[in-house]
Amino acid sequence: MIPLGFILADLRRLWLGALAIVLLIALATALGMAVQLQERALRLGSARAADRFDIVVGAAGSETQLVLSAVFLQAAPLPLMDGSVLKALAEDPRVAYAAPVGFGDSFEGQPIVGTIAAFAREAGGGALSEGQVFDALDEAVVGARVPLALGGVIKPMHGLPGEGGHTHSEIAYRVVGRMAPTGTPWDRAILVPIEAVWRLHGMGDAHAWPRRVEGEAEHAHGLGGDSDHLGSPWPQATPGVPAVIVKARTIADAYRLRAQYRKPPTLAVFPAEVLVRLYGTLGDARLLLGGIALGAQALVIVAVMLVSAVHLAQRRAQIAALRALGAPRRAIFALVWSEVMALVGAGAMLGAGLGFLAARMVATQLTRQSGIVLPVEFAPEDLVFLALLLGVAALAAMVPAVMAYRQPATIGLSA
Amino acid sequence: MPDLSLEAVRVSFPGLAAPALDIPALHVAAGTRLAVTGPSGAGKTTLINLIVGLTRPDSGRIAWGETDLASLGEGRRDRFRAAHVGLVMQNFHLFAGLSALDNVLLPARFWSLRLDPALKARALALLERVGVRRPRQKVETLSRGEMQRVAVARAVLMRPDVLVADEPTASLDAEAGDAVAGLLCALAREQHATLIVVTHDARLVARMARHLTLVDGRIVADVPVARADGAAEAAQ
Repeated sequence: MIPLGFILADLRRLWLGALAIVLLIALATALGMAVQLQERALRLGSARAADRFDIVVGAAGSETQLVLSAVFLQAAPLPLMDGSVLKALAEDPRVAYAAPVGFGDSFEGQPIVGTIAAFAREAGGGALSEGQVFDALDEAVVGARVPLALGGVIKPMHGLPGEGGHTHSEIAYRVVGRMAPTGTPWDRAILVPIEAVWRLHGMGDAHAWPRRVEGEAEHAHGLGGDSDHLGSPWPQATPGVPAVIVKARTIADAYRLRAQYRKPPTLAVFPAEVLVRLYGTLGDARLLLGGIALGAQALVIVAVMLVSAVHLAQRRAQIAALRALGAPRRAIFALVWSEVMALVGAGAMLGAGLGFLAARMVATQLTRQSGIVLPVEFAPEDLVFLALLLGVAALAAMVPAVMAYRQPATIGLSA
Repeated sequence: MPDLSLEAVRVSFPGLAAPALDIPALHVAAGTRLAVTGPSGAGKTTLINLIVGLTRPDSGRIAWGETDLASLGEGRRDRFRAAHVGLVMQNFHLFAGLSALDNVLLPARFWSLRLDPALKARALALLERVGVRRPRQKVETLSRGEMQRVAVARAVLMRPDVLVADEPTASLDAEAGDAVAGLLCALAREQHATLIVVTHDARLVARMARHLTLVDGRIVADVPVARADGAAEAAQ
């Protein structure tokens, strides 16, 4: 109908305006695309991060905060739960392991988490990438992204990451192992024996701090009996912990445990159920952002229609000449429609790419901050989004096309 | 090859009391070379818009043989124009960014996706005939005389029954204008086409066989060109 070469020559001639329209559409598309990709990445990333956590038990309070703190290591003070709960869980036959997680200190913005040696192995995906798990109060295992080498020294700072606080001078941990990367916030964590956290904060038996100075011969035995013993079995007077991560032996056990510890004064949740609720909220935010992006697109499409209409007025002579030369009206319609669609199509493709890049950049930034790896990837619904955009554009492009179609053609207009 | 006949044709424009065109009767035999002159606003352009089917009169008949353009819808008139009319305009209306050859082939491309190779060969032959040496050159790089010659080649590509030229020499210098005028007459004769030229160019008028003068939408003179020189001077 309208030869392709003619359309291309036309767009080349008007390249500056064409480029502006393509960029306008690309930016609006990129906005919507980035919101969609980012939300999906956040959902996938957090679900993967929560994968390894069967049940989280904490003191009665906010379920969401419990999961955010215990699973995503979000810095927030949690109420302590009586230590007897940890002891009971650890000795429960339905439990594979019950790992306390105790917060309170940090090192250069990275959270120090008190737990048990078994969990140091488990949190890193079941194996360490180098070294070994801690075996003494002043040893630490670091996450894959903690910038410390084996043998490095950690002076804990009191307070959660981001809060000011004093440095504990009583102890310095020594890095003895590193966890394999997991793509979760635990990649940025420093794991130490929970007993060390207790002592540092004056909980439990107020033993003197065990000194482990190199060359000091008495260190292995001179520190007062079982205070060197780490992990389960826990003593009768186990100090309180903010949360316990529980791995059940069977799925049925997991449900029974959750039911048993759901009652005050404790709280037991599957992280997944809390996440689903969070996604609901996240979904609302996405709807809002998506709405804004859609509005931006609508504005752009209106702007494109306006520009085409103005532009069309300047092209009356060209269109009249084409008609005079024998072009049927449908060819004029096709010409205007194809040119608008070529620009919108190019803009949409470019926008999808830009949106992908933007989402990737945001995801990288978030990973650096939180440790959660956010997988930014295209899904079929993105194609639906693009198809919808092109569909609306196809309809909107009819407006200038119809205007061109209806334009009366006469010669002598041109002068 | 049909004759053209107009009967009781009237065209009025809104806001103007006098009709822009008022022709009780006009007959142009097939193959005639007709010049139309007159001061601006006399209705010359209105007349060509009517006879090529771009517009319709308020009343009357505009018949090419048995086909009355005044009674055809826009789509049918488009098809008639594409099949029977070749048009040359003062401002060439060539399309920048396309080669001379692609400009000549453009009208054919509106009607079919696949181009007949014979048509392309004809376009190349026509470009050579009008003296455009490099058919693949971008049309905006040609001289004005060459541009109008490309437009002439484009007008005759589809073997039209009628060639209509609106001031074909007005934006050219005398030499280029002469060349274009010569080509129009020669090609019309070779194609056995009726040639209708609206012009102020006395030398172009002199090449025609019949000379129509319009004033205020009415035909005030209609003479054979042998005696047209005097009429043209009288009109000025």
